[in-house]
Amino acid sequence: MLTKKGKYGLKALVHLAHMPVGQLAFVNDIATGNNIPKKFLDAILGELRNAGFVQSRKGKDGGYRLARPADEIKVGHVVRVLDGPLAPIPCASRTQYQRCEDCNEATCQVRHLMLEVRQAIAEVLDQRSLAEMRDIVIDELPVTVKVQA
Amino acid sequence: MSGRANSISSIIIVGGGASGVVMAAHLLKSANPDLRVTLIEKRPHFGQGIAYSTLLSAHVLNVSAAGMSAYADDPGNFWRWLQGRGLVDREQTPQTPFYAPRSLYARYLGELLDELEAREQPTGRLRLIHEESLSITPTTSGVEVALANGTSVVAHLAILATGHDEQPAQGHAIRMGSEADTALDADNPVMVLGTGLSMVDAFLALEQRGHTGKIVAVSRRGLLPSPHRKGNPIKLDVADIPLGTQLSYFVGWFRDLIKENQKAGIDWRDVVDGLRPFNQKIWQNWPASAKRRFVEHTKAWWDIHRHRMAPEVYAKVTEAVQSGRIRLVAGRVVGIAPGEAFSVDVQSRHSQLVETFDVARIYDCSGIVRDISTSSNSVVRSLVDRGLGRPDPMRIGLDVSANCEIIAGDGTVSRKILAVGPLTRGTFFEIDAIPDIRVQCARLSKQLLG
Repeated sequence: MLTKKGKYGLKALVHLAHMPVGQLAFVNDIATGNNIPKKFLDAILGELRNAGFVQSRKGKDGGYRLARPADEIKVGHVVRVLDGPLAPIPCASRTQYQRCEDCNEATCQVRHLMLEVRQAIAEVLDQRSLAEMRDIVIDELPVTVKVQA
Repeated sequence: MSGRANSISSIIIVGGGASGVVMAAHLLKSANPDLRVTLIEKRPHFGQGIAYSTLLSAHVLNVSAAGMSAYADDPGNFWRWLQGRGLVDREQTPQTPFYAPRSLYARYLGELLDELEAREQPTGRLRLIHEESLSITPTTSGVEVALANGTSVVAHLAILATGHDEQPAQGHAIRMGSEADTALDADNPVMVLGTGLSMVDAFLALEQRGHTGKIVAVSRRGLLPSPHRKGNPIKLDVADIPLGTQLSYFVGWFRDLIKENQKAGIDWRDVVDGLRPFNQKIWQNWPASAKRRFVEHTKAWWDIHRHRMAPEVYAKVTEAVQSGRIRLVAGRVVGIAPGEAFSVDVQSRHSQLVETFDVARIYDCSGIVRDISTSSNSVVRSLVDRGLGRPDPMRIGLDVSANCEIIAGDGTVSRKILAVGPLTRGTFFEIDAIPDIRVQCARLSKQLLG
């Protein structure tokens, strides 16, 4: 599941993807513009920098910018770095596997289905780039909601 | 792809080494009666290329028999061939590690092609041409391949399967087995540039020739490839693997993964092999900077862990290292004084000190593709010269799309000229070995013929 950390990280990156190429964004602006606690955002941006998605500059005029074009960074790349292996439930991950105390994994239908869900998550998130996420037209959303209802 | 599949029925494969034969075999699985496959090879025998033309019995495959079937969907094919000819013990199973001599593998591919030729003889779907190809030119209806004998062949499209590039040896060094590789006194000391699997091949060949002199093997890091050990690759999923990060981040993750598994008593080989199904995906998702750094700094380490040798071969090599017959040197050649023999100055990577070695011969086993645009293959070179193709950003192969279509100098993706095998390593990275090439050929065949 996407944690708050993952969500904030993606929002911060979309914010950076809106900036003119090469221009730095102030951490304060990213935090206030997206309702992200500043301290948490600092930690998240640090991790994104270690993974090579953003670059930073220190000092009075310092800030962050994308290290690569927004269409080269896939959403799945970012989520794995911030939240770890993509998995809808901890027992459906291979490297971060956690056994459920209360069920037998060999016969657990829920886990079985969640393995399939994991594939679907990876497929969607690895296809979509930051640029695509940035350009999502929100007007379409109510239609989807209507269809589901 | 269906619209395209209907229109394609004639295909020329340029290069009849291992990847060319594997490509032809996959195409001919199609039921299309109008299919025409033309395979062109300049060497006297199909299915050999550089990799499998060695006749030395000591030159064995670096992959166990179970991984060497020509067919992606029939992994037991090579094993059954071996069994059918009594070349493996009845008690052995495909899971038994068995590293067949490479000459035997060439025979397997040769016979496989013979069978296909016999089967397709009434249909006329397969045509073999023994000739050197000079160039490929797109025409309005397809492609035209010009041959060295002055004739040409035409088809809807061409697939380049020219394999490993034969780059000229560097400076005073020569290629083993080339014309310059004349008889040598048995006790003459020699130098080998490179410490990888090609150096091991050179050592085995020298052994078989009765050479007993000292061998100095020099590479930047002086690392010897590791031996295979029977194991079970760990199961990984693409959801677990950090994609698209900077190289250092990925390497950190992978080291941790190995450490964790080792704590649980799992051999590092099983972790390295567990990653294999995802190697192409990892490569393709890396930013250009990570790819460059990998090729420059990390590849040497990766290669000795990933591209391993048969345990028996490893035992022989390490024995020679321990006895002083082979000396591994981490450093670089800084000067060569030619004469009756060569005086070679090598600067140590660690101490920076220069040591001089007097050797009778220098063999080039560095195995580095220096620049594909200077390829010794005229087809490849002429594509680049005319702007119909271009080197990949690393210049280790031709730039191709994820669908194996070559990309022109101006960025246009070709619909008519495609490539498989080592030539596509800029896009697919690990595409040197049969287990990967057969999967690529199966996919391409499906893409083209449905």
